[in-house]
Amino acid sequence: MKFSNLSIRLKLVVLLGASAAIALVISAVMSLVLTFVSVRDESLRHLQQTADIARDNLTATLAFRDNASAARMLDSLSTNPRILAAFIDDEDSQRFSEFVSPASPAAQTMAYLAQVSALAKNQHTPLFQRREGIASMTWSYMFTVNPIVFDGKTIGTLTILSDNVDLKERLSTYIVMQLLISVLTLVIVVFIAFRLQGTFTAPIFQLIEAIREISQTKNYAVSVDTLQKDEFRTLYTHFNDMIAEIRDRDAMLSRLATTDPLTGLANRRHAMEVMQFMVSRARRKQESFGLVMFDIDHFKSINDRYGHPVGDVVLKTVAGILTHTAREIDLVARIGGEEFLVLCDKSDLQATHLIAERIRLAIELAAIPYGEGNSLQVTTSGGVYASVPDTEVLDVYLSRVDGALYQAKETGRNKIVNWEKA
Amino acid sequence: MTHKWFALAVVLVAQLVASPAQASQEENRLMAVFLGRFASYIELPDRASKHFVITLIDENPFGSLLDDLYAGKVIGGKPVVIRYATKVEDVGQSDMLFITLVNPRSRQEAIDYGARNSILTISTATGFAERGGIIQLDFVQQHTRIKINHAAAVKSNIRIGAPLLSLASVIRGDAQ
Repeated sequence: MKFSNLSIRLKLVVLLGASAAIALVISAVMSLVLTFVSVRDESLRHLQQTADIARDNLTATLAFRDNASAARMLDSLSTNPRILAAFIDDEDSQRFSEFVSPASPAAQTMAYLAQVSALAKNQHTPLFQRREGIASMTWSYMFTVNPIVFDGKTIGTLTILSDNVDLKERLSTYIVMQLLISVLTLVIVVFIAFRLQGTFTAPIFQLIEAIREISQTKNYAVSVDTLQKDEFRTLYTHFNDMIAEIRDRDAMLSRLATTDPLTGLANRRHAMEVMQFMVSRARRKQESFGLVMFDIDHFKSINDRYGHPVGDVVLKTVAGILTHTAREIDLVARIGGEEFLVLCDKSDLQATHLIAERIRLAIELAAIPYGEGNSLQVTTSGGVYASVPDTEVLDVYLSRVDGALYQAKETGRNKIVNWEKA
Repeated sequence: MTHKWFALAVVLVAQLVASPAQASQEENRLMAVFLGRFASYIELPDRASKHFVITLIDENPFGSLLDDLYAGKVIGGKPVVIRYATKVEDVGQSDMLFITLVNPRSRQEAIDYGARNSILTISTATGFAERGGIIQLDFVQQHTRIKINHAAAVKSNIRIGAPLLSLASVIRGDAQ
């Protein structure tokens, strides 16, 4: 599985875990190196201390050529099981006394001793001209070679060879402990990473959820909020601004799609949608709904006489009277040049007629200003239809109300006529 | 053929004769060296003398070895002087007395003289330490053995260092 294909949660956990693992490895390696150096120096120091003590005691034996005492003192080194061998060479580089641990493999010890002798001989400063010994370590053993000085003169050397078992055991223990601690630390870090990743991913998922909801419901009233004061707050603010802009644009488009631009009333398409809804509901509930269609009388002659701008003023004034005179629950729409439709929800014929008559009268009484100090008056004719719907076909009702309007026009205008079944 | 066997026999005899002499020579060299080294492990009472005097009484087995070895040497901050005496009366004020006297009576007199004058007495004579001498040296098959009469050293106000005591067979009680 590719890293790029992982979820953000897992990416964060992997990144934190990997960072912790790298830091742990570097730390463990550095710590191991420092521990190795420390343990190595400590081991060599202990061996050197043993050599110093032994050398002080052995000086007299060499000074007086007492091999037996020297052998006895060297044998005392056997109390330290790590010492493989020890020997004294005199000033003629002849072996004066030696001790080889019976517990150590003789062949291996001899091989080590040969290496140590070679190393000692290869020193830049010959041992018999030194006051300080040499101490060194290989992976298998460590050794010290120290001059034995008597009365200011080097009369021999003491070599002690020891194995590195203690050092290796300590290092092994340390490595095991380090591994355990590292694994434990890594587990804790991964656990914490799992717990903390929510701090980073929760705002992202909250945003994703908000986008999904908007996508499904088209509800642009949604907004997201956060208590965080970091970059997520900026992201949220910009997201909310963007949603608000979409919401406003959506509302504007909706208004443009449903509203008549001149009068601000609902347009024909919107009126038909609302009417379809009203008819369906009234039919389902067996309730009455009312419909009024108005037409401004002699509107063509107004346009011809006063011009289209005054005609537009008349249309807007009539629209305003319709809106204010109709009930709040009614929908007023402009469905043609000078034709208006009023949808009266839950209204029977009597109520619808009353509404229509109130509107007609208000229009008739209204003085419509135009030009400078001038005014004119218009009248309207209206057809009314109201009943419990018997069909879902809107044209049926429009045709009925249009027929009533025609009757009002034919019978003198400025009146309201109810549709009557023939 | 006869000449070859004769030559071989001569060489073998020469070896047999020469070996003890060479061993003795080596022992003498070691003894000469040891005399100075003993000084590093002992503490003598303070003396007014400006020299560290090593006196050899009776026969001198070293020849000129002691003079050569200690020429210009300093022990305890004092230049070493080698003296040779034939009788106790000639020993005088010394720090170290190497006794080669064969006569037991004379040897005992030398031991007593050393004890009275806080002189470190040394000898290779058998039973030397048991008779009040402080350090007895033995060479057995080219190995050194040191025997110390610690009681005698204490009686002579001479302190002997632990490293030297650790090598030696020590007589703790008064053997006299």
